[in-house]
Amino acid sequence: MTRVLVPLAVLEGESVSLGLMDLLGTVDVTVLGYHVLPEQTPPDQARLQYEERATEALEDVTEEFRAAGGAADYRLVFTGDRDQTVDRVADETDSRVFTVLGATGEVDRLLVVLTGDVAVDDILAFVSELVGDRPIGVTLFAARGGSDPEGLRQRLDAAAERLGAAGIDATADLATEGGPFEALVTAAAGHDAVVMGERAPSLRSLLFGEESERVASETVGPVLVVRRREEGGGSDDGENGGDGDA
Amino acid sequence: MWLARDVSPVSSDAPLASGTNVEGEAPVGEETVETDEATITDDAELERTLGLAGGLAIGIGTMIGAGIFVFPGLAAGEAGPAAAGSFAIGAVVALLVALPASELATAMPKSGGGYYFISRGLGALAGAIVGLSLWFGLVFATAFYLVGFGYYAVDTLAEVGVAAGAELVVPLALATGAGFTLLNVTGTENAAKLQNGVVALLLSILVVFLTYGGLDALGVVGEPSAPEEFAPFGTTPIFTTAALVFTSYLGFAQVATVAGEMKRPGRNLPLAMVGSVVVVGVLYVATVFVATSAFGSDRLATLGETAMVEVGRHYLGAGGAVAIVFGGLLATMSSANASILSTSRAIYAVSRDALLPRYASRINLRYGTPHVALGLAGGPVLVLVATGEVKVLAEVASFLHLVMYGLLCVALVALRRDEPEWYDPDFRVPGYPVVPVLGALASFALVGFMQPISQAIGVVVMLASAGWYYYYAGDVTLKGKL
Repeated sequence: MTRVLVPLAVLEGESVSLGLMDLLGTVDVTVLGYHVLPEQTPPDQARLQYEERATEALEDVTEEFRAAGGAADYRLVFTGDRDQTVDRVADETDSRVFTVLGATGEVDRLLVVLTGDVAVDDILAFVSELVGDRPIGVTLFAARGGSDPEGLRQRLDAAAERLGAAGIDATADLATEGGPFEALVTAAAGHDAVVMGERAPSLRSLLFGEESERVASETVGPVLVVRRREEGGGSDDGENGGDGDA
Repeated sequence: MWLARDVSPVSSDAPLASGTNVEGEAPVGEETVETDEATITDDAELERTLGLAGGLAIGIGTMIGAGIFVFPGLAAGEAGPAAAGSFAIGAVVALLVALPASELATAMPKSGGGYYFISRGLGALAGAIVGLSLWFGLVFATAFYLVGFGYYAVDTLAEVGVAAGAELVVPLALATGAGFTLLNVTGTENAAKLQNGVVALLLSILVVFLTYGGLDALGVVGEPSAPEEFAPFGTTPIFTTAALVFTSYLGFAQVATVAGEMKRPGRNLPLAMVGSVVVVGVLYVATVFVATSAFGSDRLATLGETAMVEVGRHYLGAGGAVAIVFGGLLATMSSANASILSTSRAIYAVSRDALLPRYASRINLRYGTPHVALGLAGGPVLVLVATGEVKVLAEVASFLHLVMYGLLCVALVALRRDEPEWYDPDFRVPGYPVVPVLGALASFALVGFMQPISQAIGVVVMLASAGWYYYYAGDVTLKGKL
């Protein structure tokens, strides 16, 4: 079964909305409780003080995930770099998807974003598994990034067909106006959560932050991000060599 | 080649530390597994987030301020052009210690650095003396960097046309010291990236300056300079000056205080420690050579702490002076700030082992910073800055560090003679046992060349640390326990 990583700023009172918990009831979940520290503070020093509190909160959240359906466990990490931690734990737990938290009620309809250079197969496979036989509708969305609208149209139609074959109510929505990001935010209205693919880091993500984080804050709802597969198995910075023990 | 060895997770099967202090607090001991990316404890993981560049920036950033921007004038006054030799001696001693320190750091990649290695290798008493002395050693070093900063700040004012006398040095240093402490308590911005940038900028300024100055001094460009007797005061001042300027090499051990946060510690710790000593050693020797070629050492001596500004003016005109003043400000600030952060980590390491009250390592949830430890670092610094005694501050700092370095080499030999099961360093000292034995002898010997007042203050700090240990935590045992 697919494993979804749910990063949670556990000591800052962040919580998982009930709607998201129910939505993730069909998959396995690892709750990643993390606490980010400034460079003045050795992570071990924070652990001494906060480990107990954080563990208690994580056990509660994990129990709620189990009650919602899937298998669930948790990891607790004190870190100076949130993104590095999410990446590492996602690799170690073999999580194909991670979440960006947001508020939502019961999820009736998902917006699945297929714009740009993303792993369409992986995203559709995940959506099929996530929805399962629940009455959750899917809107397949792509924004025209300038070139080849015909190709995008075909991609959306093929995707809708594939999901339809799996018994999912899927419609296609090709945005032709406005910037891709604005079009996405507009399209997200009427949907309870967004599923999108992780993109390669770019100048834009460096300047404005991760696209998924921006989508989550603009749409208020949760975002599920299907991770990119590593090319050649190397990790970033050439700082390779993790042992990946669980 | 040691670097090629794969890092395997180290499981610490060692017995855990035991005993309690007078408040009933016991050392925090727990079995951990170290991987390249994180430390894994029973219930939590500690992410390693510092790369090699970050480690080098801590080492070089801590060291470069003193050796290049404060000492050349003072050193040339005492040893003449042979001051270059004093810096070279310092570099050799630092290397002899950096190698054993690297081995210990890869065997025990934990926060606390030298204190941690010595308390586990030689026991709680030696550990307490070193740990508490290291706290004060860093406090003396920070005060020294801040006073150096004060001199550069006054020169900056002079460069922009504001006449300011030397009486402003101490007030400016005090204000900056208080400012850094406050910023470290409340600031959650990632200053580490800034530190990397500052170090890169400094290195570029220095390479340009030293290349031009070096060519000039050798007579390739400009007028040939008047040759001066190499060691006008004989050979003894070369060694006493080496003892004085050794403060320029204290930073490499600060890399070990963040050992718990380094990615791939088996590779990055030795590279960062040895690498930073080599880089600054070469720069120091070149700087003194260039400086003593520009002016006679008498003239340099009268220019004092900011002699390098005049050297910059000599070679590159007003632009050179401005570049050096700017570099000096950046360098002394980065040294002071890096040292305050190291001090806070040193205090944490000691308090974790119940040698100081646990309260000292409290973190506030609002900023996530260790405000008590930062206050214990910054407070005493301000008192020392107020003395304004550059040479004594520098020497006491060196004294306390050199004692630690010497004991660190002893600890390595002790651990190697009877290797505990958990002792499995990824990096082993080449030339064992010659290197650590020489490192210990050289460290203790250098202490002997200091002014009596510095030696006296250093001994008092060590005795007070030992007294504190017997009073406060005499029951705590740490030897051979992770």
